[in-house]
Amino acid sequence: MHGDDTSAAAPAPTAAKPVRSGSIRFYLTNEFGLVVLIAVFAGIFGLMTDGRFFSTFNQFTLGRVAAVNIMVGFSMMVVIVTGGLNLAVGAIGVCSAMVFGFLAQVGGLPWPAAVVGAIATGALLGWVNGFVIVRSGLHSFIITLASMSIFFGLMLYLTKAESYRGIPPDFSEFGRARLFGVVSPMLVVAFAAGVLLVLLYRYTVIGREMLAAGARPEAAELSGVRVGRIFILCHMLSGAIAAATALLVVARTGAAIPSMAGQLGQDWLLLAFLGPVLGGTLLSGGRVSVIGTLLGAILVTMLTNGLNLLQIGEFWVQACLGILLLLAVLIDLMRRSYLAHRRMV
Amino acid sequence: MFGRRHIIACAAAAALLAGALPALAANDSKIALVPGGPHPYFAAWEQAGKDAAKDFGLGAADYKVPQKWELSTQNDLLESLVTQGYNAFLIFPGDPVGSVSTANELADTGAPVIALAGCLKDPSKAAFCLGTDTGNSAYLGAKQLFKALGGKKRIAHFTGFLVDPNTQLRIDAVERAAKEEGGQVVQVIADIDAPEPAEEKINAYLAAHAGEVDGIISTAWVPSVVAANALRKIGDKRIKMVAIDHDQVVLQAIKDGFVTGTMLQNPYGQGYIGSFAADKLRNGCTVKADAPFKTNALTNKFIDSGTVFVDASGVDNYISYMQGITKTLLADFQKTYLVCK
Repeated sequence: MHGDDTSAAAPAPTAAKPVRSGSIRFYLTNEFGLVVLIAVFAGIFGLMTDGRFFSTFNQFTLGRVAAVNIMVGFSMMVVIVTGGLNLAVGAIGVCSAMVFGFLAQVGGLPWPAAVVGAIATGALLGWVNGFVIVRSGLHSFIITLASMSIFFGLMLYLTKAESYRGIPPDFSEFGRARLFGVVSPMLVVAFAAGVLLVLLYRYTVIGREMLAAGARPEAAELSGVRVGRIFILCHMLSGAIAAATALLVVARTGAAIPSMAGQLGQDWLLLAFLGPVLGGTLLSGGRVSVIGTLLGAILVTMLTNGLNLLQIGEFWVQACLGILLLLAVLIDLMRRSYLAHRRMV
Repeated sequence: MFGRRHIIACAAAAALLAGALPALAANDSKIALVPGGPHPYFAAWEQAGKDAAKDFGLGAADYKVPQKWELSTQNDLLESLVTQGYNAFLIFPGDPVGSVSTANELADTGAPVIALAGCLKDPSKAAFCLGTDTGNSAYLGAKQLFKALGGKKRIAHFTGFLVDPNTQLRIDAVERAAKEEGGQVVQVIADIDAPEPAEEKINAYLAAHAGEVDGIISTAWVPSVVAANALRKIGDKRIKMVAIDHDQVVLQAIKDGFVTGTMLQNPYGQGYIGSFAADKLRNGCTVKADAPFKTNALTNKFIDSGTVFVDASGVDNYISYMQGITKTLLADFQKTYLVCK
């Protein structure tokens, strides 16, 4: 295993492998491929925009957008680990943001207390998803599709679609602040979340149980893992991360807005899948790559930003993004085939 | 031979002069007109920007559309436009509250920001908001509908997205007009300013309840088009309808008698006058402290870009109505709202 690529069924290195096996396998990882692609596209965009891509303003805004995309990816990744999905990440995020706005503006709570309340709301809504999925035995796709509408509809009913604008200035300042003139603190939060997730999956029993339950639920159950409880925990974690993501957006916009993730929170869905899938997290569960998800989200953010800067017709950006992503996957495939063909692994 | 050389020399001089003149008159205002997302209402901004660039000698006034109707997509686009060198912004806020932060950041780069067609919630660093008074437009449209209905008073209201605060203003305005006229809004169908939900909900509603309503008011573009088409298909001119905006489907339905009239807005004028004002603000003008701004639910720096009801008698001249509104507003704009050195 390399980087943080963590799998329940990852084979142990054997003595029969070539001596160079370790370093060569490093080149085979999704993470390495993504780093190369990020470097290549950064170079291309830098050249094609006469260096504007690397301007301080652009790097700051790029980091701020990447932070949200990374966190959205993590929110989906922790459920994909179980072989399931959480289509309600956006809806949970918006609901949590609105709870934050209510607690801070109407309730008059200090913002750290409101943050705790919002993240607890996210975890609670995640628990609802997990509980219903485990108890009903239905696929998470169906349950979270329904809960997406229910959560969002309830939020609209309770808030009357009104935004909360009385966000404490200290909290809003966080979204505008710059570290060393170029780095958004939001990006630091996303990286910190990544580190915590790496620690969870690599060094804690519960993290390993999550991977085991996702890889082979029946086997995990026989090994004493309470799979149902673990699945619920994964959904709670997903809800909490979705809430944290929404709080970053609140800090960015200075308001808790019902439309912050689009209708029903659907605007987050594509981003939520792109990071984990590009990063090498298996949709069937049991294997996770936190750093891959982080790099995948950065690549997607960079492509969107670069295409905008190149003034590719706005309506073509989405198509170009798809083509470039496909190219990225094909290049990765070719890299693997080449190394395999040369018996370098 | 001399004559030919003379002609060539004159042509060369003319070409040089032609090249030099724009350089002399060069204006470095690079204005971006950015809607909230793809929507037919904003299409007129593109031509308005081009015309403004030509008429006022601007460096550029380009229409830039976010690929999706999504606040974060619009924010990303706006930030990339700063990096691309745009130095003035006319923005339809993706969200009246959520776009304030981005508008303020744009203004902090020294670029004038004007909220166009929709307002930012005060306080913001936008110079002002130039748009339709949506509540008033809905109110006037509803009044026109009740006038057309005579004694019949049961109407349905088709409108835009619930997350858009303008939608609630429109709902309230139609309710107010109904109360004043002794009428009843029997159904409000919202969240349908996109083809798929509009087709599904409007057609289903009319199929089941057409007999229960005497009139329809639509306060969003797509529902206006879909409802006009539905009434044409039903072929029953008993139901009176007042629409909004100037889609060709709606205008043709007015001509053919399926729709009573439409509330015109002025997107072209917004883009044209907005570009003019943004350039002035870049070049030393400031907003007059005692400018006669109007107040709406979002801001107290609102300028009404005009709205007018058009029925079958005026539908052929709707462009001249819009041009008339624009001309009138532009004529006194600088004197009324700006202080220029």
